[in-house]
Amino acid sequence: MQKCLLVLSLALGLLIATPAFAHHGTAGYDMAKVVTLTGPVTKVDWTNPHIVIYMDAKDAQGNPQHWTLELSAPLLMQRFGWTKDSVKSGDQLVAETHPAKNGAPVGTSGTATFILKFIVNGTPLPVMGPAQPPRE
Amino acid sequence: MQNRRISSAKNLVLSLCALCCAPLLIAQTPAPQKPANSPAAQASSRVPDLSGNWAIRPGGTSWDPSDPNGAKPEQLPMTPWGLERLRAAKPPFGANQSFDPNDPHQRYCDPPGTLRMYSYPWQFTIVQTPAQVYLLFEYLHVWRVVSMNQPHPKDLDSTWLGDSVGRYDGDALVIDTVGYNDKTWLDMVGHAHSDQLHTVERLRRVDHDTLELQLTIEDPKAYTKSFTSKKTFKLSSFPMGETMCSLSEDQSFQKNIMDRTVSAPPAK
Repeated sequence: MQKCLLVLSLALGLLIATPAFAHHGTAGYDMAKVVTLTGPVTKVDWTNPHIVIYMDAKDAQGNPQHWTLELSAPLLMQRFGWTKDSVKSGDQLVAETHPAKNGAPVGTSGTATFILKFIVNGTPLPVMGPAQPPRE
Repeated sequence: MQNRRISSAKNLVLSLCALCCAPLLIAQTPAPQKPANSPAAQASSRVPDLSGNWAIRPGGTSWDPSDPNGAKPEQLPMTPWGLERLRAAKPPFGANQSFDPNDPHQRYCDPPGTLRMYSYPWQFTIVQTPAQVYLLFEYLHVWRVVSMNQPHPKDLDSTWLGDSVGRYDGDALVIDTVGYNDKTWLDMVGHAHSDQLHTVERLRRVDHDTLELQLTIEDPKAYTKSFTSKKTFKLSSFPMGETMCSLSEDQSFQKNIMDRTVSAPPAK
């Protein structure tokens, strides 16, 4: 049985020093918090306007939660080093995300200015922040 | 004016065929048959090379030069008309940012407008021909045509992109645009404009890898005086790609993501 973990922590200042840019904005998220989720991927929508990843995780009390994570647009994610096969349904995922302010299991894990930590089947995917500009 | 647009479209098709070798368009600008010292050849030789794929950096969501992220959107010199519309806006960025927006582009995939195209984090390319200059944007595959060394037509319709005429001034391409409709916003923080909007863009290559835009905005219905802002763009090694706005895709995202963050979460 996969052990799932939910950890709430404060994001470091560097991550939020640059305004996050997704063309829909990030007004619905608490950009000062980062949640770390562990569990299986159930679905990936590699599509515009933003890639959406669905996964199962558990909260601190061990209750199951179905999370929906937003990333940047496919073209930008490709330029950051991801491919459409980077994350697939059934993969085991450790993912950081900025959670929704209202407590819904929805988060943003990447925009045009940052990508939080994603570890797929033990392999980390490219991340991005102020110190890690897009790959050229 | 319609003939001019048809002619422009034909020219664009030809230009797109040659897009992969856009620098050659610059190289061929001086007509080879003309003597090197003819007035036309001398004028052509002064055409600055603005070719390249230019990456738009994220951020800079407002054109207010002293408030590029829209933290104080009401500080621009607005008329009551402009202020009323700003206050009614629920934009994606700035002090009034909302995840339940009334941004026409975000809600309906309406064209975001000429000036907002410079704020999306994709890239654009410039194709220069003697009669027209084209600005081709990766986002939405919007293309703008700038008619060189011509006045604006007198029978202008109001359109999403307006009517652009251009000239070279030293190392800069100067684009003068009028004839906008009033259906778009100036920027990402909800600043309005009217159909009296007049813009002047000066694009110049400050070094090989950097393109600078100096933009002057004038709109007597929305702003009490004109203002000027700047952005820079970096030369990109990525080929041009595709990012469209599809209403069905946007509505799916709205339902699966955005709506869930603005409503009460489901009871456990």
